[in-house]
Order: sequence, then C-alpha cells, then structure tokens
Amino acid sequence: MTTTLSAEVPPRLMEEIQALVDAGWFSSRDELVVDALRRFIDSHSGELTGSFIREDIEWGLRGAD
Amino acid sequence: MEPIESPEIVCDAGPLIHLDELECLDLLNDFAAIWVPNPVADEVEKHRPRVLRNPTVTLRQTPGQHTPASRLSTLARSLSLHRGELAALALMQDHPEAIFLTDDTAARLAAKSLGYRVHGTIGVLLRAFRVGKRTRSALVSILRTLPVRSTLHVRKELLDEVLANLNQAKRPDS
Repeated sequence: MTTTLSAEVPPRLMEEIQALVDAGWFSSRDELVVDALRRFIDSHSGELTGSFIREDIEWGLRGAD
Repeated sequence: MEPIESPEIVCDAGPLIHLDELECLDLLNDFAAIWVPNPVADEVEKHRPRVLRNPTVTLRQTPGQHTPASRLSTLARSLSLHRGELAALALMQDHPEAIFLTDDTAARLAAKSLGYRVHGTIGVLLRAFRVGKRTRSALVSILRTLPVRSTLHVRKELLDEVLANLNQAKRPDS
C-alpha cells in the first residue's frame, strides 16, 4: 500500500529530476523521489546519530587535541 | 597539564549556533584557526547574527568559492547537502588536517566518507572539561539544560550516555 504526497518543487529542481528520469536513472519521477527520501532517511538514522555522539564522547573526553 | 596542540577547525553553521545558544562559543577560542566559509556565515547571519559579532572568538570568514572535487559533488547530491555544508566540505579540501565541526548527520557522513576528522557540539562541550575550560559541574548543568536552551536535538538516552561518561571521566592531569 502506498500513500500519495504532494509537494511544490522549484522549476530548476524539477528540470534536474526530469533529466535524471530521461537519462534512464529512474523509471519515473515518483521512483526518484521515493529513492531520494529513502537515502535521506538512511543518512539521518538514529543508529548513525548514536555512533557520531559516541565518537564525540571519545574525542571530547579522551582525545589528544 | 601539558599544553595540547589544537588543530584548526572548519565550521558548519550548526555548532556555531548551538554553542552560542549555550553561551559556550568561547570554547572554540583555543583552536589554531576557526574557518567559516561565507555561505555558512550567511546561514549564521540569518539565524543567529550575534555569533558573527561575538568578541570571544575570531572567525576567519573566507569566500566559499572552492570548487568541490567530483567525489564531494557526488556525495553532496546523494546526501542532499545544503549550500553551507558543501562550502565547508569544499574548504576542507584546503585544510585536510583540520577538524570539520558539524551537527548535521548527512554532512558528517560525507566528511567521514572523504576521510576527514569530524565532530560536533557535544564533542566540543566535552573537550572543554578535558582541557580545563569548564568544570564538570558546569558542563553537567549545560548538558542537562541543552534540550531547552538550544536547538540541537539529542535523544534523551544519548544525552544520558554523554552525562554518564562525563561523570566518570578524569582529566588527563588528575
């Protein structure tokens, strides 16, 4: 089951989206947007945030510089 | 305590804004240089202009006209990096030994992918205890009030982990 989202997209961004679809990277604009959202969510995951905070703890408390 | 050799830092907007919200911008003043590309300065000017006029730190603003390497351009597209983040990472190309300061997960991921050292506001705050710029109790107070005093979002469980580590930490000279 899918849910429909609507968003206002600036003309230049839409041109870039269409260019990627026309070049064959995606079969449709919908597919590109879903892929982009998935990548965005992956890159903002809680697990990633946790690992970055732990790196800050290590450097902050036990680093050398 | 032996003096530490402080590296240069290249700043994204987030840590500058968050540290100022916590009255902690001075924690940056012992780094060898604080580089701020103009697109980042523009973002800071928009959201928290007083940062750029804070007398406790010397921010070295620099034009953000560095051409990003192709790998950076690819990462910027795939991670949807913003203009300031891209400018800061492009500036890192000229300062590869510097630490990139950002609180943005995607920008941090890109920096790590490019092999750069990268930390955020939490790291700078904790470092202040290690280098003797803040007491443990002062930092505990800052961290406990961080959710209401700053726009930095840290999950409660992670903040508790940070506090637990701080409470157990020893200074190098103690």
